[in-house]
Amino acid sequence: MTLLPTTTVGSFPKPPYLLEARRKVARKQMEPGELQELERRATEEWIRRQEEIGLDILVDGEMYRGDMVAFFADQMEGFEIAGLVRSYGNRYYPKPAVVGPVGRKKPVTVEWFTFAQRLTSRPVKGMLTGPYTIAEWSFNEYYPTRRELVLELARAVHEEAVDLERAGARYIQIDEPAIHTRPDEDFELAREAMEIVTRGLSAYTITHVCYGDVPRIYPAMLSLPVNQIDLALKNDDFALLEVFRTPRFTKDIGAGVIDAHSHRVETPEEVADGIRRTLAVIPAAQVYVSPDCGLKTRTLEETVGKLTAMVEGTRIVRRELGS
Amino acid sequence: MITTVVGNYPKIPDPPAPGRWRTGVEKVQRGEWTRAELRRVEDEVTAEILAEQAEAGIDLVTDGQIRWEDGQTYFARALEGFAIGGLQRYFDTNVYYRQPVVRGEVAWRGPITVEDYRFAVAHSPRPVKPVVTGPFTLAVLSRNEYYRTFDDLVVALAAALNQELRALAAAGAALIQVDEPGLLLRRDQFPVFRRAMDVLWNGVAARRALYTYFGHVDGLYPALLDLPIDILGLDFVAGVRNWEVLRRARFTKELGLGILDARNTRMESPEEVAAAVRLAAELVPADSLYVSPSAGLEFLPRRVARRKLEVLVAGVRRAKEGVA
Repeated sequence: MTLLPTTTVGSFPKPPYLLEARRKVARKQMEPGELQELERRATEEWIRRQEEIGLDILVDGEMYRGDMVAFFADQMEGFEIAGLVRSYGNRYYPKPAVVGPVGRKKPVTVEWFTFAQRLTSRPVKGMLTGPYTIAEWSFNEYYPTRRELVLELARAVHEEAVDLERAGARYIQIDEPAIHTRPDEDFELAREAMEIVTRGLSAYTITHVCYGDVPRIYPAMLSLPVNQIDLALKNDDFALLEVFRTPRFTKDIGAGVIDAHSHRVETPEEVADGIRRTLAVIPAAQVYVSPDCGLKTRTLEETVGKLTAMVEGTRIVRRELGS
Repeated sequence: MITTVVGNYPKIPDPPAPGRWRTGVEKVQRGEWTRAELRRVEDEVTAEILAEQAEAGIDLVTDGQIRWEDGQTYFARALEGFAIGGLQRYFDTNVYYRQPVVRGEVAWRGPITVEDYRFAVAHSPRPVKPVVTGPFTLAVLSRNEYYRTFDDLVVALAAALNQELRALAAAGAALIQVDEPGLLLRRDQFPVFRRAMDVLWNGVAARRALYTYFGHVDGLYPALLDLPIDILGLDFVAGVRNWEVLRRARFTKELGLGILDARNTRMESPEEVAAAVRLAAELVPADSLYVSPSAGLEFLPRRVARRKLEVLVAGVRRAKEGVA
C-alpha cells in the first residue's frame, strides 16, 4: 500500500433515483427486487467514482442501508423497529428495540461486499456496526443488563466478520461511534466486546469513533484490539491531536481531514495542512487519510468535491515526503 | 397531586404522517423557505402537541420545545458571547448537538423564550410552565475559551439568565422550571452551583422549579434543600438510588417525581406508576407531588411518548383513588 492511503468512512449519498425508489417501495408502489437492481446500479456508480477520484481503499457506499444500526437490527433475531427518534438537527433514525434474544439468522453484509469487490481490483472494506453501538442506539426491553446484550451482539458481529473474511475481505471496519457514551462505566465492556468481534481475524481491522468526548477514553482506546482507529479530527479543528502527543498514539490512525457535516467543500491545500498537522504528532507510516464520518448527508456534488480535494491534498503531502 | 412533563416532546409524528418540521428545516437549509415560514410550522406543531398533552390528561404542560434544536444552542445563539462549535454527544444519549463556545462576555440581549411562552399559553387548554436550561448545565456543555475559570462563567450565565426568568415572570409565568442535569456530571462543584442559584432566582416572582435528570443526587442531598427553590424535580429511573437518598433527610420542598422511563420504549403499567406514587407519598405529602416521566420525551417515538403520558395519568388516578 502507498504512503498515506486514502479511504472513506462508509456511507455515500444515495442518488435521486434511488431515494425515489425507496419511497415507492415504502408505499408499496415498487417491488423490492426492482429496488435492489437500482441499489446495484448505484453501488457500481460509486465504485467507479471512487476509482476515478483515486481513492486507495474503497467502500460499497451503503446504497442499500437506511441506517447503520437499523440495517443490522432488521436482519437479526430479537429486534423490532420502535419508531423514528432524533439523532441530530432534523436527522432522525428508525430506532430498534431489543424485544428478545439477539442473534444472527444469516450473513448480513457478505452478499453486498462480494458484489462490490467483484467490480474493482482495489480492496473494498467490509463494513460492520459494532456491538456496543448497536446496543446503545437501540432500546433494550429484554436484557436485564447492558453487558449481557453487548456481549451477545459481539458474538453475532464476530460471526459476520469471519464470514466477510472468508468472502475475501482484507479490511474489516467495525464502527463504534457510541463507544465513549459512558467512558468510566462502560469502556472496559466495549473493549471486551471488540475483543470478541476481532478474535482470530487475519484481516486488517479498523474501528471508527466520532464526535463525543474522545479525550476521556485516551489512552485507554489504544488497547482496543484493532489495527486502526479512525477519528474525526477536522470537526474540532484538529484539537484532538494535542491529546495524542502523550502518551504516543500507537495504533494506525484514520485521520478525518474533511468535515462530513458541512456543505463547504474543502480545498486540497486545506486538506494538506490537516495532514501535515497530523504528521507533526503521528508518524506517516501510521496515517490513513479519510473524512470525519460517513458522507451520506452531503449532496453528490459536495461528496465528489470533498473526496477529490482529499485525494489531491494527500498527493501534495506525499510529494513533500518524497514518495 | 399534579401530573406534568419534564420538557421536550417528539417533534415529528410516526410515519406515514408527514414530519412537517423535519422537511421545513431542510427547506430553510436549502434556502427555499424563510425562517418565518418554518416558524409557522413550529406554531402548528406546538399547538398540536399542547392539545396532545391535554388529551392525554396532563395537568401542567410545556410547549414541547419544538423550536429548540437542543437545550444548549437555543439559549447560546440568543445570548451575547457565544459561537457555535463542533458536534458533541448529549450526555449518554444517541443525540448530538453543536457545542456552544464561549468567546466573549456573556450577556442577555433580550427575551429568548418569552414569545414562545406567550404563544403556548394562548394555544394551550392546560396551564403551561416555561422551561429554561440552567447556567451550570449550559457552562458544563459549552467550551469556555473566555472566562478565567469555570466558576466565573457559571455566575455570568446565572446573571444573564436571571433576566430571562424575570422576563418570563413579568409575562405571567406563575411557575418557571430550570433544568440542571449538568450538575450530576460535576457534583464536586456544588459550591458554585449554589452561588449561581442565588443569582439566577434573585427577584424572580414565580414558583421556582429545579429539575435534574439522567442520574441520582447522592452526594448532593440534603444540600439541595438549601437552594432558593420551591420544587425539586428528580429522576427515579436513571437515578433509582434517589429513593434511598431521599430517606436520609426530611424532604422540605415539593417533589418532581420523574417515574416513567423517558428513554426506553418498555411500557410501564399504571399499577407500577401508582405504586411509585404511593411510595413517594411516604416521603412527601401527596399534594406536594408533581408526577412526570424521568426526562423529556423526545428520546422516544411519538406514539410511545403519548402512550407513556396516558399510562402516567392512569397510574396517578389509581393512586389518588387509593389515597382518598
